Amino acid sequence: GLGFDSIPCSVFQKLLKRLSAIFGVSFGIRRLYMKTLLKVFEWATVRLERGAKENNHPLYKPYSNEIKEIRRSGSNKDLDSASEFEMSDIFYFARRGVESIMDDEVTKRFSAEELESWNLLTRSNYNFQYISLRLTVLWGLGLLIRYGLLLPLRVTLAFTGVGLLVFLTSLIGLLPNGRIKNLLSEKVHLMCYRICVRALTAIITYHDSENKPKNGGICVANHTSPIDVIILASDGCYAMVGQIHGGLMGVIQRSMVKACPHVWFERSEVKDRHLVAKRLSDHVDDKTKLPILIFPEGTCINNTSVMMFKKGSFEIGTTVYPVAIKYDPRFGDAFWNSSKFGMVNYLLRMMSSWAIVCSVWYLPPMSREEGEDAVHFANRVKAAIARQGGLVDLLWDGGLKRDKVKDTFKEEQQKLYSKMLVGTQEDRSRS
Amino acid sequence: TGPRCPTTRRSRELQIWVKPNCFLALVTLPFVSEVRRLDKRFKKLDLDDSGELSVKEFMSLPELQQNPLVQRVIDIFDKDGNGEVDFSEFIEGVLQFSVKGTKEQRLHFAFRIYDLDNDGFISNGELFLTLKTMVGKNLEDVQLQQLVDKTILSADTDRDGRVSFQEFCKVSQTNGVL
Repeated sequence: GLGFDSIPCSVFQKLLKRLSAIFGVSFGIRRLYMKTLLKVFEWATVRLERGAKENNHPLYKPYSNEIKEIRRSGSNKDLDSASEFEMSDIFYFARRGVESIMDDEVTKRFSAEELESWNLLTRSNYNFQYISLRLTVLWGLGLLIRYGLLLPLRVTLAFTGVGLLVFLTSLIGLLPNGRIKNLLSEKVHLMCYRICVRALTAIITYHDSENKPKNGGICVANHTSPIDVIILASDGCYAMVGQIHGGLMGVIQRSMVKACPHVWFERSEVKDRHLVAKRLSDHVDDKTKLPILIFPEGTCINNTSVMMFKKGSFEIGTTVYPVAIKYDPRFGDAFWNSSKFGMVNYLLRMMSSWAIVCSVWYLPPMSREEGEDAVHFANRVKAAIARQGGLVDLLWDGGLKRDKVKDTFKEEQQKLYSKMLVGTQEDRSRS
Repeated sequence: TGPRCPTTRRSRELQIWVKPNCFLALVTLPFVSEVRRLDKRFKKLDLDDSGELSVKEFMSLPELQQNPLVQRVIDIFDKDGNGEVDFSEFIEGVLQFSVKGTKEQRLHFAFRIYDLDNDGFISNGELFLTLKTMVGKNLEDVQLQQLVDKTILSADTDRDGRVSFQEFCKVSQTNGVL
């Protein structure tokens, strides 16, 4: 009955509170930490820019709509006296075209390298030069704090979190299936993930929590790094999907599944799409099981765009809860380039950054409409996620987007240019 | 947007050995940060991971959609004429416009935009067609033809009815857009 459940529950609650008090830094302090860091970065950037003596590279000038630039030599600045058509006019369009190909305004904002503020991590500034003693000292101090103080602390926390997860979930696995087991498993998972979040000093802001995924649904999110899992799972309980690995990862996976049903596949099973689809469908049909967490992109994208969503997850006929995760690049690049760094290397880099700041938006649930195919549904979900997170939805923009929009912009350019040609003609005929 | 962070001014460091057909250059390219950046850019544009950029992938950039000349630019990038731009074509094309590109290269690029059939001469018809893409429906064909005739007349010094590369260079030297 009720009485029986509540005793271990309240004990557990107390234990949880005590543990948070020991491990946790309260939310207010973390915000203060963030603000302080930003102020320091601002100062460092100003110093850096003052010290930098190089000219602006013409290729990287901000996008400007000034068609007057077409005739740039001194004598021709005044349009009235400009000659009509010049063969060199196309340079302007060609140059603008190549500039856009190289670096367009929309995506530039999100590239990790284009940071306009230097966050005291040389890894994000490939061209670090000696600017001033003060700046170097600050950087050195930062280095000391990050590697000497923060890193050991965080690594300890990480080990604690993971260790507790394995240990407690194995314990819970011994209990008979029932309400207590589910409740305990929920609490344990949440607690351990929260410890891991602290281990990364992740400052997460959750928006629209009323849209949080419910049982029997699939949660779909854009994927930037393995940390995404920890970020989402520390705010809600999900059933994970993935391949069983060997080593430490495998141990964690095997013990997690003892406490609550996750969907782990053997390597051989992953190739069999029907098997995968069937197991996922069976899982969502059982309403007592937790919502599945899937990253349809399958690979890590550098958090500036939402690439093609693989359609497999959208073929299962159930409610999809889209989630958008956006990392703030000012504090460190959370992108994992798996061809460059291994997992351990990546985690160490993350743990020696200042902080990981991100926002999570829970979007309203979506379902496949009548007559809509999986690809179209996937694109719809992807567009919603991209729009919310301020990410660039590349495929959507390029593909089905109304051709009318494309032409109007081009026509405007054509009109402007024509006016320039005709305008001078009329002046000529008048004079 | 404020002044650029020094990270992106690596172009100065790009060595001169990035000449179009130098195999060695292509092999060592990934290790130069400027080209690493181009590589990232290429991968970002390559939506279907085919290793080549199609016109559709270029057109996914909103700013390119506005540019009336973008198809010509892509055609010029596409040296082997297969309709798509692979990574080496991409690098060659883009670098012509960077600090390391020479004035000669850029003049040649601009010339290619007019020279639709790539025969080394800009004919009256080619100039007309190019101008048409730049002005769209805003000028009458008659007006356009007048402009074209006038331009060819003033540029064509050897009186063969078309503009060669040398004549083009002479006419284009007059302003500092390059």
